[in-house]
Formats: sequence, structure tokens, C-alpha cells
Amino acid sequence: MRMRSFFEERAVDLVLLVLGVVIVGPFIWMALSSLKTAQEIAAQPLVWLPHIPQWANFSYAISKLNFGQLFVNSLLVSTVNATAVVLTSALSGYALAKFVFPGRGLIFILALSTMMVPFFIKLIPVYYIVKTLGWVNSYLGLMVPHFVTGFGIFLMRQAAISVPDSLLDAARIDGCSEFRIFWQIVLPLVKPSLATLAVFSFMYHWDDFLWPMIIISKESLMTIPIGLNRLWNPSSIIDYNLMMAGATLAVIPVLIVFIMAQKYFVKGVMMSGIKG
Amino acid sequence: MRLNLNLRASKTLHAYIFLTPVIIFLVVFTVVPLLFGIYISFFRWNMLVPPSQAKFIGLENFRYILLQDERFIPSLLSTFYFTIGDVILTAVIALLAAVALNSNRRFRVFLRTIYFSPVITPLVAVSIVWSYIYHPNYGLLNELLSWVKLPPQQWLTSITAAMPSVIAMSVWKRLGYYMLIFLAGLQAVPQELFEAATVDGASKTTMFRRITLPLIKPTMLFVLVVLTIEALQVFTQIFIMTQGGPVDATRVTVLYMYDTAFSYLRMGRASAMAFILFIIVLIVTFVQVRLMREGGMNTYTN
Repeated sequence: MRMRSFFEERAVDLVLLVLGVVIVGPFIWMALSSLKTAQEIAAQPLVWLPHIPQWANFSYAISKLNFGQLFVNSLLVSTVNATAVVLTSALSGYALAKFVFPGRGLIFILALSTMMVPFFIKLIPVYYIVKTLGWVNSYLGLMVPHFVTGFGIFLMRQAAISVPDSLLDAARIDGCSEFRIFWQIVLPLVKPSLATLAVFSFMYHWDDFLWPMIIISKESLMTIPIGLNRLWNPSSIIDYNLMMAGATLAVIPVLIVFIMAQKYFVKGVMMSGIKG
Repeated sequence: MRLNLNLRASKTLHAYIFLTPVIIFLVVFTVVPLLFGIYISFFRWNMLVPPSQAKFIGLENFRYILLQDERFIPSLLSTFYFTIGDVILTAVIALLAAVALNSNRRFRVFLRTIYFSPVITPLVAVSIVWSYIYHPNYGLLNELLSWVKLPPQQWLTSITAAMPSVIAMSVWKRLGYYMLIFLAGLQAVPQELFEAATVDGASKTTMFRRITLPLIKPTMLFVLVVLTIEALQVFTQIFIMTQGGPVDATRVTVLYMYDTAFSYLRMGRASAMAFILFIIVLIVTFVQVRLMREGGMNTYTN
């Protein structure tokens, strides 16, 4: 019996490790290919390791993609959006959780039901609104439509509910203004949920493709996904080593951040799952 | 009493101050767009003129896409094909991996990191990487096939293989996310149940079927809802890897809607497509939320 369960466990380990190899395989292949020459890319049979690592592929990809600019734009858009979502969600979540006022139920239901509206149905109207505002090809157009999300409001309301009322009342009796109560008492107490929301929002915008593609055609405003897509044209001959260098540049920073802040991501996902 | 009233008035005032920016954004960027999207689906409109000059054509857009358009219904079918494949494969593999990882202390943290890594990487970048892996001549996958003496395949360029190839890549990308959610669900299952079952001589399979599965049903339904909604909206990986081809084999609805709107400037018709897909998303969500209630989601939401 013991023997059998020992082998069973090893078998499961093996399957899990094989799945792990399948999952990292594409990243390793991407990294290896980014260092190959064009001849090595096209070689038959396939060449596994680059004979001499072509680090020049990276400098070429950086200048061809204008990667510095892409990176700055992605960082800016993701950071501003995450900050805005966190602030608006915390403010409204707190108000919905701790204040009794006419219209509260209605506003909460409004916020909840916007979670059910998928982006594709808003695509044309939001584009038209942004166009009318003169925000096509601008940072404003990239960011502002995403400043408030139903999910954020819901998450922050759940977090604010657990803030003890006695703490808020004590502060009020001491003459603390409502804004200061929010800033100095509520915000620190809901920090874990804030962090989760910030991480999710940042990841979403770092990855977002459809909206920036529609709204941005100016090279100086492109984010990383849009910049990669600009050089990607499957119907023509592609410099795969260069594309892989570009993909590596896009993948490596997030992988590093993820490995460093892993616990944090994991908690966030698990929380979002449990809270629904 | 006076003070109390004042306090209440001040709290109400502050609540509205806190909520005003949020309400404005929700109205301008969600409520109005949703209503406008539905409204404009009854018009012929190219966005070059103001909507007030669009031509009202009643249900013509819906009649056209449902009865006359030879690509819309197939695009819905492609969307369903993608959704069914993606949801089943992702959910099953994520659940099995989570169960295995949950009872495996040795590699848990290490493998969790590995499995989750595709989730955080930009979809456009990894779609490009996978296009290269699927390449018929230089691709890694055909090389691996040749090891086991199988003929090379036309992964993304064959009508039959393109969709499964896109699905495989999508499963790879999102697997780790849903596995983590399952892990969270599994960790909420009380260990005593398994200890008691072991004492009673239950086998591992029995315990999985009789204890684990029923208790993580709420998590499972949550995963199914989120996965399905996500899959019905698939766009980016298909845009990058196949552009809907070959011969429309992977032309899903959002992609077709995008082309109709932004390549052919038929905003009304595209809005009608979006509206139909939206109804489908809503129906699926309501059915699944129904099931979720019966499954006892309440135990988990609080």
C-alpha cells in the first residue's frame, strides 16, 4: 500500500513537471530564438542553440520598435489607470459601504450591472465619444474611459464594510473632516484590497490591445502591444529573430516583477476568485 | 438632535461628493455607450456624419446579419467552437493541476510560479511567439513531431487545425489563473473530512468525487462563468495569429464586428452584431449564476 502510493506520487510529480516544461517551453524557445542569426532561424534541421548569441538583435529590435518610447507609454498608461481606478473605487466603495443616503441602492446596482457590460458592445460608442472630445491619438483617449470600473467599486465596497464604525465615529467626534477620515483611517485599513485592485488594473492595461489599437495610430503614443503589432505582418517574410527579441523585451520585465512580487499576485487572484 | 441631523446631512453630502466622479464616469463611459450602441444598431451610420444624420432603417441590420450575411452566423459558430474548447480544456486541466498541486508540498510554490507565468505576459507578445512555434517550416512543433516520425502539420494555415491551435495557445495562457482560483477553493475544504474518509477506508478517487468535487462546486461555477464570458469575447490572439483565416475558419464574432466597424465603417451593422453577442453573453451569465445560486455560492461570498 505504502509502496503504491509512493509510485503514485512520483507519477503525479512527473505529470506536473512535464506540464511545467510545456508551459515554460515557449518562453525558453523565444529567448533562444531571439539570439539567433537569420540563417539559424531558417535552418533545416532546426538549430537549438545559437552558435554565437546575437545580442545585436536586441539593440536592433529596440531601435526598430522604438522600444524605449513604447515602454514609457505602457508604464505611464498602466500606472495612471491603476491609480485612477484605485482612487475612484476606494472613494465610492467607502461611500457605498459606510454612508446611508437616498439613492444608495440604485447607485450600487448601477455599478454592479456595469460589470456585466462587456467591452465590445461599448467599443463603437466610446470611440465616438472620445472622437467627439477630440481625444483620438492622445493619452487622454487611452486612459480616461477606463478610470472607473464596476469590479473596482464592488471590491472596495466589500473591503470598506469591514472597517469598524466605532473608529469612524470616534474620528468624527474628534472633529476629523470626512476627507481626512477617508485618507487617514479608511485607506490604510483597506490597503490589501487596494493593492490587489492596483495590480489587476495595471496588468490589464499593460496587456490591453483592442482599445489602444483603435484609438492610437501615432507612433509616439503606442504602447508595447501596439508597437509589436506594427512590425508583425504574417503575410510577408518576418524576421523571426527580431520579433522574438521584441517579444522577449515585452515579456522579461513583467516576468521579473512577477517573480519578485509573486505572493502578492497569488493572493490577489485567490481573493478575486473567492470574492467573485 | 440638531447635531445628529446636521451630521446626517453632512454624511449624505459627503457621500454624494465621493460618488459624483464615479457616477459621471459610469454614465458617460458605460450607460450612455450601452444605450447608444443599442440605439445605433437600428441605423445606417458610418461615423463620418453625426449620429443625428444617420438613416433609421429599423430592423434591417438585424435582418441582414441574421438572414443574408454569409459570415455572421459562421462567426457565431466559430465563437462557440472556441468557447467550448477553451472553457472545457482550461477548466479540466486547471482543476486537475490544482488538485495535484494541493496534495504536493514539494513543488507547489515552484510549479505555481511556472504555471502562472503566461498569465502575466502580454497576450500580443506570446501570440507572436506561438505563431512562430506553429510555423510550418521553422516551427518548434513540427520539429517535435518529426522526432516521433509524424509528418509536419499546417497548424495555423489549415482550416481544420487553425482553431484547435488557437485554443491550445489560449489554454496555455490562462490555465495558471484558473488553477490558482481552484487552489483557493481547495484550500477552503476542511482537511478533517479527508481524515475521516481515510479512516473509513475511502479511496482517493472516491474522496475526490464525494468530497472535493461537491465542496468546490461554487468555485467551479465561478470559473465556468468567468471563463465563458472571457472566451465569448476572444479577439487579440486570433487577430495576431490568424486574422480570422484561413478562409474564415477562426473569424470569431468580435473580430468580424471589428472589421465591419473599423474597416468597412458600417457602425450600425457592427452594433447589431455586438448587441446579439451581448444577449448571448447575458443569457450564458444568467444561466450560470442561476446554477451558482443552487450550488450554494453564499457559503463562499461571505
